[in-house]
Amino acid sequence: MLIVVIILTTVVMSLISPFFLTQSNLLSLLMYTTVVGLLALSQTPVILAGNGGADLSVGSVLSLCSVIFGTLAVVMDLNPWLAAIVTMVCGALLGLINGLFITLLNLPPLIVTLSTLYLYASLALVISGGRDINGFDEAGFAFLGQGSILGIPAMVLLVLFPVYLFGSFLMNKTVFGRNVYVIGSSAEAAKLSGINVVRTKILLYVFSSVVASLGAIVTASWLLNARSTAGSEFLLPSIAIAVLGGVAINGGIGKVSGTFLALVLVAILNSGLQLAGVNSTIQIGLLGVIIIVSILIRSKDQSKAIAT
Amino acid sequence: MKPSSLKTDERTLALLKNIQVFMLPVLLVFSLILFATLSPVFLTAANLTNVAVNSVDLALVAAGLTLILLMGGIDVSTGFAVGLTAWFVGTLSGLNLNPYLILVAAIVIGATIGLFNGSLTVFFGIPSIVATIGTAAIYQTLLFLLWNSRDVFAEPVTPFLSGSGRWLGVPTLIWLVLLIYLALHVVLTKTSFGRSIFAIGSNPEAANLIGLKIRRTRFIVYATLGGLIGLAAVTYLGRVGVVQAYSGNEITFLAIASVVVGGTSILGGEGSILRTLGGVAFIMILNNGSVLAGVPSIWNGVVIGSIILLAVSLKGAVVILERKRSGI
Repeated sequence: MLIVVIILTTVVMSLISPFFLTQSNLLSLLMYTTVVGLLALSQTPVILAGNGGADLSVGSVLSLCSVIFGTLAVVMDLNPWLAAIVTMVCGALLGLINGLFITLLNLPPLIVTLSTLYLYASLALVISGGRDINGFDEAGFAFLGQGSILGIPAMVLLVLFPVYLFGSFLMNKTVFGRNVYVIGSSAEAAKLSGINVVRTKILLYVFSSVVASLGAIVTASWLLNARSTAGSEFLLPSIAIAVLGGVAINGGIGKVSGTFLALVLVAILNSGLQLAGVNSTIQIGLLGVIIIVSILIRSKDQSKAIAT
Repeated sequence: MKPSSLKTDERTLALLKNIQVFMLPVLLVFSLILFATLSPVFLTAANLTNVAVNSVDLALVAAGLTLILLMGGIDVSTGFAVGLTAWFVGTLSGLNLNPYLILVAAIVIGATIGLFNGSLTVFFGIPSIVATIGTAAIYQTLLFLLWNSRDVFAEPVTPFLSGSGRWLGVPTLIWLVLLIYLALHVVLTKTSFGRSIFAIGSNPEAANLIGLKIRRTRFIVYATLGGLIGLAAVTYLGRVGVVQAYSGNEITFLAIASVVVGGTSILGGEGSILRTLGGVAFIMILNNGSVLAGVPSIWNGVVIGSIILLAVSLKGAVVILERKRSGI
């Protein structure tokens, strides 16, 4: 279904703009896709685990990690790769905080991540003092965000594809992935069948935030700058793409590959609209429509449930 | 379980409940004393009136949002809904219409927006947070399209709804807020409609079983929030005087923060609308006081965020202990 839509959109876009199918356009399309794609992937397992879960803090985790990374690599002049590892550890901690609040205090994931959405973004502002951090070591580090291997952008080949492959492997081939699906269908049943629900859920949020922190590193390497608002625009597309990819908002149903196809479709739309000169704010509204329409199409059978 | 550990649980539970009740008053008193010490201007009548008048649109949105949270829902589209409605108000003001007609139009437009949000959750079963993330994006884009690079400037619709109106020496806007909070408080505590809001919030299935009209109640509440958003758009425009592409955006999170800091449980079923007014006061005092005291206002977000997380955690801990006590 999504593949058909992707082919159709590609045809339409290439008819509208002759530039659409040029190599340079397709490449810049992939660049945009990488960061958004990482956040959509980080969202997928969280939504799959159900209980009305979605990680609303992914954008703020990206912002905060971006500022942490900038502080380490530029202000403290640490080796960028070492700084990247430390940043990912910080990302894991931020996810751990989300996971602990959600599981130990038995709070709704949306409420906790809505709070940390605000808290992490505010912390990013405090740490950076609201100023951009510029001056990343360009020579080696910039290759990740700006270089390419065999014509394919390095960040796509070295980050986006491997992370999606890993995510797909994690969800389809491991016990952890199977547990997430079981929890998503029924947390009670999962508990009864002996699954450690608490540990699985905490790991989900850690995974989500680590992937988001990767997004921060890629952004820094691409733009050679770190901002306290780097991630604020990414929450909306991350949820829209996951939901469009067939991940049911009530959990249990959906696949990482679906998220990937939705990512390709949104990237094509984004690029086509940009070529057509459509303002990016209009794309925000479009993503909003995508969220609502894709849930409407899929949730007919679930609409009888009492949603809050 | 050993009796001694039961006793400790009892004591912890009582302590947590006390913290829940006294957190807001303590925060309010503490911030008042702190800022009064740091700034000589802070505790003057002129400044406090100024703070109160500037918090009217936030107070109106927070009042409507309290009802939504009491039912266990949420709305993250309120800010752009205010901005979008304010654009219509500003544009209508430019046509020299009767001010009361504009006021009615604002409430109708706001209620329409509220009903749109409401129908997505009530009739189509989309969780309110996801639905309103979507509609927030849509309202943002609609406002952007209507704005079309032209700022809309407007005078207050009527003096009654601007900061300059006075009745018995008190700003008319403050009377308006007090009237609305009092009315909603009476509805929530004295009517069966109000009690059904609490019932739906604490247990929707049970509310359904005892025959409450859940969908109708929730629909009315969404319309109420919408109407208050319309009213807030009028006072917002009267205060700011201009509508731009991102107008109103800042209200979204502050409104949620006001309600939660006020002690209304974000899990639904528990809270009080009058305490929301205290939450609004705390957040506005924090903003105003930190500016006057020369404290960097970038810390405000961290303070507010931490308090929200604390309030939510307290509630979570209380629920767990209460369940343990009743042996579930």
